[in-house]
Order: sequence, then C-alpha cells, then structure tokens
Amino acid sequence: MSLADFRGEVQAWLRERLDGKFAAVVGTGGPGREHEHVEERKAWEQELARGGWVGLGWPRDAGGRGASIEEQVVFYEEYARAGGPGRINHLGEQLAGPTIAAFGTQEQKDRFLPGILQGTDIWCQGYSEPGAGSDLAAVRTTAVMREDGWHIDGQKVWTSLTQYADWCFVLARSDAGSERHRGLSYLLVPMRQPGVEVRPIVQLTGTSEFNEVFFDDAVTAADNVVGEPGAGWRVAMGTLAFERGVSTLGQQVGFAHDLDQVIAAAISSGAVEHDAVKDQIVEAWAGLQTLRHSALRTLNNDASSSTGVEANVSKLLWANWHQRLGELAMSVQGAAATVVDGDGFSPLQTMFLASRAGTIYGGSNEVQRNIIAERFWGLPKDRA
Amino acid sequence: MTDSADTAELRSTLRGFFEQHAPTRSQLADDPGQWKRLTTELGLTGLAVPEEQGGSGASYVELAVVLEEAGRSLLRAPLLSTAVAAVVLADSDAGDLLPPLLDGSMSAAFVVGDVTVDGDRLTGSVAQVVDAAAAGLLLVTVGDALYAVDAAAATIRSLEALDPTRPLAAVELDGASGRRVGDAAHALDLLHVALAAESVGAARAVLEMTVAYLTVREQFGRPLGSFQALRHRVADLTVELEAATSTVWYAARAAAERAPDLPVVAPLAKATATDAFTHIAGDAIQLHGGIGFTWEHDAHLYFKRAWTTALLHDDARTLRRTAFDRGTRG
Repeated sequence: MSLADFRGEVQAWLRERLDGKFAAVVGTGGPGREHEHVEERKAWEQELARGGWVGLGWPRDAGGRGASIEEQVVFYEEYARAGGPGRINHLGEQLAGPTIAAFGTQEQKDRFLPGILQGTDIWCQGYSEPGAGSDLAAVRTTAVMREDGWHIDGQKVWTSLTQYADWCFVLARSDAGSERHRGLSYLLVPMRQPGVEVRPIVQLTGTSEFNEVFFDDAVTAADNVVGEPGAGWRVAMGTLAFERGVSTLGQQVGFAHDLDQVIAAAISSGAVEHDAVKDQIVEAWAGLQTLRHSALRTLNNDASSSTGVEANVSKLLWANWHQRLGELAMSVQGAAATVVDGDGFSPLQTMFLASRAGTIYGGSNEVQRNIIAERFWGLPKDRA
Repeated sequence: MTDSADTAELRSTLRGFFEQHAPTRSQLADDPGQWKRLTTELGLTGLAVPEEQGGSGASYVELAVVLEEAGRSLLRAPLLSTAVAAVVLADSDAGDLLPPLLDGSMSAAFVVGDVTVDGDRLTGSVAQVVDAAAAGLLLVTVGDALYAVDAAAATIRSLEALDPTRPLAAVELDGASGRRVGDAAHALDLLHVALAAESVGAARAVLEMTVAYLTVREQFGRPLGSFQALRHRVADLTVELEAATSTVWYAARAAAERAPDLPVVAPLAKATATDAFTHIAGDAIQLHGGIGFTWEHDAHLYFKRAWTTALLHDDARTLRRTAFDRGTRG
C-alpha cells in the first residue's frame, strides 16, 4: 500500500468514528484534561485495537502491525489532526508492551501483550519516588520473594494516569542492602488489590494526571519479574529508550493547534498589531518548524549517524518551546487572561499551566543538560 | 548534518584538507594557493553542477557538507559565492558562463541591493558585497530578476571589513551591461542555505574549541567543565546548534530536491543558523575568559564572522518574517 493510500485509510477510519459514535471524546484527555470522558476513552482504546491501530509499530512477532516509521508518522499526524483524544493507555502501548516484547519471557509475552493490543489492560509506570526523582537509582521501594510471590512495600509518586490503571511496571529494590543501580528488579504488579492505594495529586492545573501510589504488602506472582531479579536497572533504561521520536510528530500537530489558538487570541485582542508580539508569534512558528526538522532528522538517523543525545536535545527543545508558547498565550490576552470564566480554566489557561510540567517530567531540563554535557561532550561530572 | 555513508566520507576528506591546508589562522590574508587547490584539485566550485555541464554531479546536500567544513576554518576564499553561482548558472541558459568558475580562473559574487535596469543596462550602488573585489563575475539582483555582469564593467572598491576573514567591497554599476540569467528569489534561497550551512559548521568548530578548553583549563583545583553552571551553558548551546543543524539539513535537502517548501525553509535556515552561531561565538569568548578577549586567540574571528553573516543578506528577524509570510500564506 502506498503511503498516500495508508493516509487515506487512517483518515477514513478516524473520521467515521470521531464524527460518529465517538464524537464526545474529540479533543479530550490531553494535559490538564486527563479526567475527561474516562470510560469513553477506555472504549475508544478498544475500538482502536479492533481497527488494528494499537501496536502499530510493534514487531509482527509480538502481535503488532510492523508498520514502517513513515506509516507510524502518518498515523500520529492524522490522529492529532482528527482531534483524537489523549490515549489512556499510551504507557502500555509505548513502554510496557515494547519492554515485555524485548526483555520478557515467552510466557510473559503470551500473558501480557494481548491485553495491551486489545486495549483492555491499562498500564502505569512506577519509577519515581519521593526520594528518587531525577536520581532514579535512589529507589527505596522493596520487593521480597516469599512462597506466594513478590511482596512489595513502598511509595511511588508522579505516576501518570494510575487511577485508571490495571497494571503497573514497578522498579523495586529486591536485594536487601543493595545500593544505587544494583539489586533492583523490574516487576509487573496488578493494581486492583488491597495492598495498593492510589491517591491523585491535585496539580496546579486543578486536575490530576499524576498520583501517589502506596504499596503496603502488595503481591505479584513470582513469574512477574522482567529480566533477572536484581538486574532491573537495565530493563528500566531499556523502557526509556522506547520513547521514540515517532509520536513527537503527532505531538507537534497538537502544538500547531495550540499555536493557532494563540494567534487567534492575539488577533482577537488586537495584540498582534504590536510589532513585538508579531515577532514573538513568528518566533514560535519558526521554533515549531525546527522541532519538525529535528524529529525528521532523528527518524532518518541510523546508529552510525546518531549523536546519542537526540532524545535529550528534543526533550529540551519541545518542553521549552511549549512553555514559552504558554506564556505567549497569556501575554497576548493581557489582563483578560487573569479571569477564570464559568466552569474552569480556558483551554489557553490550561495550556499555559500544564506546560510547566514538561520541563520537569521525563527527565528535567537540568538532568537533560547534564546528560548532554557528559554523553555528547565527555565533560567531567560535577563533584561539588 | 546527518551524514549518509557518502557524505560522511566527503566530510572526512574535507576535514583533513582544511585542517592541513587551510586552517583558521591562514584566513587572514588572501592565499591564491588555497583557491587553486579548492578548484583545480578538488573541483569544489562545480560540486553541485551536473556532470554534462562540467561539474561533479553531486547535490546541494553535498555542497552543504563542503560549506560546513569550510565554515570550520572560516575559509576566506570565495568558494561559497562561486559554488552557489555555479549552481544558479547551471540551471539557467547561461551555462556558457560556467567554465571559468569551474576551473577556478574566475570567482563570482552576489550583488544584492538597490539596482535598477533599463533595457540591459544596470545602474545602482550596493554598499557591502562579499567577495566582490576578487570576482570576475557579478550576479546582480534587480527586483525579481537576476543578471550576470562582467566585474570589469563595475566600479569595485575594497572595504576594511569587521570580519578580517571575509573580504567586502562596495560595488557601483553605472549603465553596466547585464544578461538576464534567472530569478533572484531562487538564487537568494540557495545563497541563504549556503550561508546557513557555513554558519553551523563554524559554530560547531568554535563550540568544540570551547569544550576542549573547558576540559583542560583548571581553576579551584578542577577542570572548568566540571562546574554545572558551565556544563549547562554548553548543553544549551548544543541544543541550539543541533536544532539549527536539523533545519539546515532539511533546507539543503529541499534545495537538492527543489522541494516546494524551499522558499520557506531557506530564510528560516539562515535565521536559525546565524542565531545559533552568534550565541555560540559570543559565549565562546565568555567561556574562554580573558584569553578569549585577546587578538591572538581565534574566538574573535568566529564572533566577527558570526555577526557579519547574520547581518548581511537580511538579518534573522527579517528572514523569519519572510519565512512566516511564505509559510502561512493561503
């Protein structure tokens, strides 16, 4: 099938549903709007699965569609263009599934991949802790093997969409007395059990994408460890590497939509008449073009041409860009932006507020800069 | 620049050539020997000219790689002007003007300013023209049109340039005979992409120089590069450089493929690249400390090239507006 035919197929499939049965979920579920239409978005995930759109880029032997990078880009672009809702199981599809496919046993693949591909099992990620944020190797949650399986105790935090999750991939310390990267295990833990308590964190958006998770003698089967017990760090780092560049092109379609809204607000308020504001809009537009060029360059790289820090550069670029756009969204509205009308924050207010998280999660700007300094340039670590 | 196997080999060859035969320090005065080697030995002015017209038949992507490498040395010789002129002429019906540019017996310069035409007679004066003093052929923009003018028909006065590695001259045309050779807009797009490629090459070189210094220079008993304030500054400059490189790469490919969005990305590439270059070259002086402020150190040569390139052929703000207007029209 040609790429144009593929694009047509994607468009037709999405239009039929998002103009029809699933019209209610259009545009919902993004940052600051995670709580919207949760049941409908769960149903949507299963509808996507029936259409063969979940696991699009997974290898065929893992049950995926084995789509080319170009096809995946087309899908994400068209999905964003059609106003497809925030994916409630993106951690399952993007992180848990590929990790299990790469590092798991055949039994684990048979057990867990179908639930992700069918959109029935929602996953969350149990990495960060109150004492282990940017310094992930400081994990203190423990896992102890007993007769009936692994027993897990500890606290995770900043876990996305956990309140809707059925399963969690948890990084826990399984070798008592071990330190840093050694002695950690990568465990698959069911969320619906008495030993797990989820408390949503009310963010400065007023909504709750992130949660605290308390494990108090939570249990999972002995087989539910990915990789060797005690060797979970390597698996956890592998998971992070699956955060590929493909979905960023879809993200950029969303960014373009945000920019359009900012321009509309600037025209409506008259701010666009000011040269300085026009310049800021032009700079935002130019920055978005460069984000696209960077993503395309990353996708076309192979191992020999890779700088090894594309993901870090890209994270700093888009998170900073989006944060500046959020600020521009406010300044073009002027004093009118200080008032909350009706039911809650406006889309631009929500975008402005939610954009503060991008420079913190998934490796803060400061951590990304350290990685670039060390990995790309070989600069010595700061020992102060 | 993302290298395929072919461009990686080209880059490696040129890196060795410039380091050995045309280092930065040799760019402060004209060196006819360098020009001769670049043209007759390496054939670089005809690199992106089709083989049937006497060139090497490579694409604009390869030319961009060459210019990145030339930028590392702040090459003084008129390679950029002449190679871009050759691409423009190869694509026109003035292919008969090509041979002296390809064999290095003549160089070219782009004259962009207020020039008018009456019949085939061009009149006007342009105050700052790169590479004009040595040029035998002038490509002059007149509104939307591009004209070729014999440099002997113009009055050309060398200027003392802020950037000592890039010759500037004032050009005056007083009824000089011109020959229509194509459209100005496309030629300027190609020129912008070329300047952008040169700028990211130079920016990368001066950033590498700076990081090397931070690695060996010690204060308070430890390398400067171990201080997080400096590491983070280097990282931010790296992000800006990599982003600009991505846009330059995209624009070079657009030029090679004559993509419909070249008029959008060409001005954007120059704006993005010179922004990165001016920031990196400025910070390079700061991060070198006192030594970076001296005449004998190379940092100021990069700084002056960065600002000169940013200000000639439209500044970043103007170019971004051009790109925006072209990219969002309709």
